[in-house]
Amino acid sequence: MLPDLGNPAWIPRGVAVLLFGAALLLLGKALTGRSLTLPGRLVGADRARVLWVAALTGVYVVIIERLGFMTATAPYLFGFCLALGERRWTRLILFSVVVPVATYLVFDRALNVPLPRGLFR
Amino acid sequence: MVDPSLLLHGFGTVLSGYNLVALVLGSFFGIIIGAIPGLTATMGIAILVPFTFGMTPITGIVMLLGIYTGAIYGGGIASILIKTPGTPAAAATVFDGYPMAQAGLAGKAIGIATISSGIGGTFTALGLAFFAPILANFALRFSAPEYFALAVFGLAVTITLSGRSPVKGVISGLLGLLLAMIGLDPMGGFQRFTFGFAELTGGLSFVPMLIGLFALSEGFRQVEIILTAPRVSATLKNILPTLKDLKECLPAYLRACPIGLIVGITPAIGADTAAFLSYAETKRASKKPESFGKGNPAGVAAAQCGENASTGGDVLPMITLGIPGDAATAVLMGALTIHNLQPGPMLFQAHPEVVHQIFAGMISANVVFVILGLIFARFFAQVINLDRKYLVPLIFITCMVGSYAINNVLYDLATCAIFGFLGYLMIRYDYPVAPMVLAQILGSMMESNYRRAVVMFHGDVTLFFTRPIALTILALAAFTTFVAVRRQRQALKQEAAQLAALEESSSQ
Repeated sequence: MLPDLGNPAWIPRGVAVLLFGAALLLLGKALTGRSLTLPGRLVGADRARVLWVAALTGVYVVIIERLGFMTATAPYLFGFCLALGERRWTRLILFSVVVPVATYLVFDRALNVPLPRGLFR
Repeated sequence: MVDPSLLLHGFGTVLSGYNLVALVLGSFFGIIIGAIPGLTATMGIAILVPFTFGMTPITGIVMLLGIYTGAIYGGGIASILIKTPGTPAAAATVFDGYPMAQAGLAGKAIGIATISSGIGGTFTALGLAFFAPILANFALRFSAPEYFALAVFGLAVTITLSGRSPVKGVISGLLGLLLAMIGLDPMGGFQRFTFGFAELTGGLSFVPMLIGLFALSEGFRQVEIILTAPRVSATLKNILPTLKDLKECLPAYLRACPIGLIVGITPAIGADTAAFLSYAETKRASKKPESFGKGNPAGVAAAQCGENASTGGDVLPMITLGIPGDAATAVLMGALTIHNLQPGPMLFQAHPEVVHQIFAGMISANVVFVILGLIFARFFAQVINLDRKYLVPLIFITCMVGSYAINNVLYDLATCAIFGFLGYLMIRYDYPVAPMVLAQILGSMMESNYRRAVVMFHGDVTLFFTRPIALTILALAAFTTFVAVRRQRQALKQEAAQLAALEESSSQ
């Protein structure tokens, strides 16, 4: 008995069934102690750093078109470097200003790839 | 066979004007990316693909080939200087490279590594030029059943040989297959998994997803380990090796070159396996095997030569059959497609001059990085000391701007960010990322060719077992899966034995 091969849902359903089966297999291996060991849990400062950067990146994606590339990227880079532990304020501010300007010049001017103008539309 | 006149013309095109500048710039950035631990060749290509959009196809491709070969070579620099491979493929270079550096021979080690990489890469690029037309010609006999079988083989090998756990590789690959089905059904044009979003009608944006999974995910990983990156303090002297040094490494080259080429041709087995196998074989055949691991230049030569000798082999199935050899060639394939060049046997028919330009580009890239590596060795050594607190944010910005630059839509930027974080979680919890990406390419190929084959042969599914080429390829896929499951059982036993030994020694 063959499945209806003209039905576009057939292969996705098959993949979903296989995926479910693989997940059950993995669960079974974990419960019976036959799985390979995992790395340790992300805790403390490492975890905070990763979550902080992920949150900053999410906010950046949301605001970049509204505020514009340079206006959004400067505070993003500032917050990013702070999250990584940078506390040399002059370098931090210079970096946060120079990189968006340089990137704008390379992409928008040299490569003719327009970046979001946002507030400067 | 390769056409000598087209190949000469290809060299003429690649080594002139903007193409030469692109090749040199690509090699330069590729070496930098490879030298910095944590940044991979795949990441480098993924980040720089958007920069090639404004270029002509061949200019963009030679730049990416320069990044690819340069990054594979560049990984050896960090292996030698700080005992940390710049790329996973350079792990074997540590065994003898770092002891040489500790003995004050860092310059010599880097010189030997540079020239060895160039020898291996050039050999395999010549191999690519020789074998690719033969394989492409053979592939012209393939029809839908054979392409379906090839896709299954590629998926089986990729899924089961990536990472430590075949089950996790299967899950990653199946997720990739599901993601490949977002958009329009290839035969009937129905919408699948779009959930009413117009942006998903054309499927997921492939290049932003690639950039996210391969580049941004590593960026998140670098955020996690930011405080632990080692620094270079060695000074480099006598970088250019003597003829006597190279003569001592000749046995290593004679083994590493063919090993690298053969390993590279096998899908999902990449430069790291080629490097280790080349090193092991050279050590085994040496008159002084006990000197390996203590600063034997032949050890550095074997590892670096084998590593770069796999690059041509990785490109071979991609360019002739449309099946990526590894993650880096998957990204290269994406770049070729963006430039309206569909890899496969028809590329050889429709654009033979482009194919020969690619061959010339691969050969030239290996010469260029040797010249750059020898001249700028001290600069590349210092690049390892770049402050990660600035480098990592720069990587993030380059990834996201690059993703946005493709179509100037926020959707691509969001795709890159989402898959970047997803890729990081996958890396963290030991789910290989490469199967997800390769499954997207191979999944579309598998589904459309399966359905086309069944329609062509009026619903008779036994055709996959009666056509000899298709049957052979499917049998290879089954054998590969069996080997992978067995390998995982051995890895589990080894890990259990190591844990038991650790517990015993800590209790004593």
